[in-house]
Amino acid sequence: MKRRAAASVFAVLLLCSSPALAWDPSREDGGDARPEVEREPDPAPFIAPPPGIYYVTDTYVADVVTSTGALTTYSTTTVHESTGSYARVLDTVGTGASSAFDGSAFNGRRTLGDGRSVAGTYYENYVLDAGGFVPVSIVFFQDDAEVARLLSGTPISGVNTPAPSIPATASATPRPFGTTCCATQRPVVPIPSPTLAPIRPRISLVPLGAPLATLEVLRGRAVSLYPRAFVGDREVPVRAWTVIAGDAGEALVTAGSGVVPFRTSWRHLAPPGAAFDVVFRIEVDTPETGHRTVAAAIGVVVRSPALER
Amino acid sequence: MVLTLVLAPLLLITLAGALQLGALRVVAARVRAAADLAALVAVNDQDDVELARSGTLRLSADAVEVAREYFARELGLSSTLLGSAADEVAAAADIAAYPAAPAHDARTGARYDRPTVRIAARVPVKTPVFGALAFRPVTTIDVLSVSSPR
Repeated sequence: MKRRAAASVFAVLLLCSSPALAWDPSREDGGDARPEVEREPDPAPFIAPPPGIYYVTDTYVADVVTSTGALTTYSTTTVHESTGSYARVLDTVGTGASSAFDGSAFNGRRTLGDGRSVAGTYYENYVLDAGGFVPVSIVFFQDDAEVARLLSGTPISGVNTPAPSIPATASATPRPFGTTCCATQRPVVPIPSPTLAPIRPRISLVPLGAPLATLEVLRGRAVSLYPRAFVGDREVPVRAWTVIAGDAGEALVTAGSGVVPFRTSWRHLAPPGAAFDVVFRIEVDTPETGHRTVAAAIGVVVRSPALER
Repeated sequence: MVLTLVLAPLLLITLAGALQLGALRVVAARVRAAADLAALVAVNDQDDVELARSGTLRLSADAVEVAREYFARELGLSSTLLGSAADEVAAAADIAAYPAAPAHDARTGARYDRPTVRIAARVPVKTPVFGALAFRPVTTIDVLSVSSPR
């Protein structure tokens, strides 16, 4: 009886069974492979350019020579567009240096005022046809500059030519300006060199205090350091200062304008025999000094009251 | 019984002497700490004008007064243990300030390489047990404290 019942249950389960549909991610058999899709042939197959040849994205327009004051610049203008051509660098030449490609560029190679050839780079252009990359032209991209020689005698804007002084003589006879003996000579124009007065940076504890190279402070004691600047014996206003190196201690700010001091304190001591070197960058901007920056350093020795035994 | 009657007072005297000696050492430590703290406070008070002028630490001109004041304040915390008033002890103390270094201390013979404050004091301390035992009821403690910024 039991055997019949068990056989009946097994038969019922077998009849009710259905195949399980599960996806096996690691299944690699090609049983369910998709049919191969027929690809159309590439109408413009990619052909990798040879090494050194690249696709042109900036195209040559013209050579440009500009003069600003005494400075003459030789440059090349381009337009950001692609003509479908390729190029490679042939040669990069310096000022006055000769190249094997001189005379081969369609735009030529200019010369400086002293006859030397300008610096620049030779490029060779290519086009891609059925036979591959075909060279079509060579172009020279000039990139140079020169300062006009002041012996040319031509007035240069922006340069103040001082009037020649008449030397005092015992007879007080005025000499004619521009004698005929020198009329054919090019006048030598002295150019005043832009020498700037040296700025002496200083640091003090009070606005008008003595400048300090080293400073002893007690640990945790708040101090104010005033970065200052001097030209000769005269103090010039400081536009701004910044701590650029060294241990700034417990400072809240490490930069400020010239009217505020650098406030800080040190809660730790330097190693025995050592000091904290704090370096400031002091910015000065006055008509006398121009906009300049100088560095000032001060050695800070932090001490703490201690008992002697 | 007889042995106990004989030895008990001796043990009590020994115990009382040991306790008094321990208390004396505690008081001596407190007096020494008072002198140390006063010297440290005095050294911590610097001359700002001299610092701005030369950038070096120098003791304030009133360093001696500051040290004496704080010595009296610190001793006042132990006034019940002292044989005299804290102010009197501090006033009688030999306090010297050496604002600039190097300096030579004539009392101790020491050489100071930094600005230094030195406190030398004789502090009377109550020792009632010693007094009851036929010793002096007040014991004097010599303290010496030297401080400088390092």
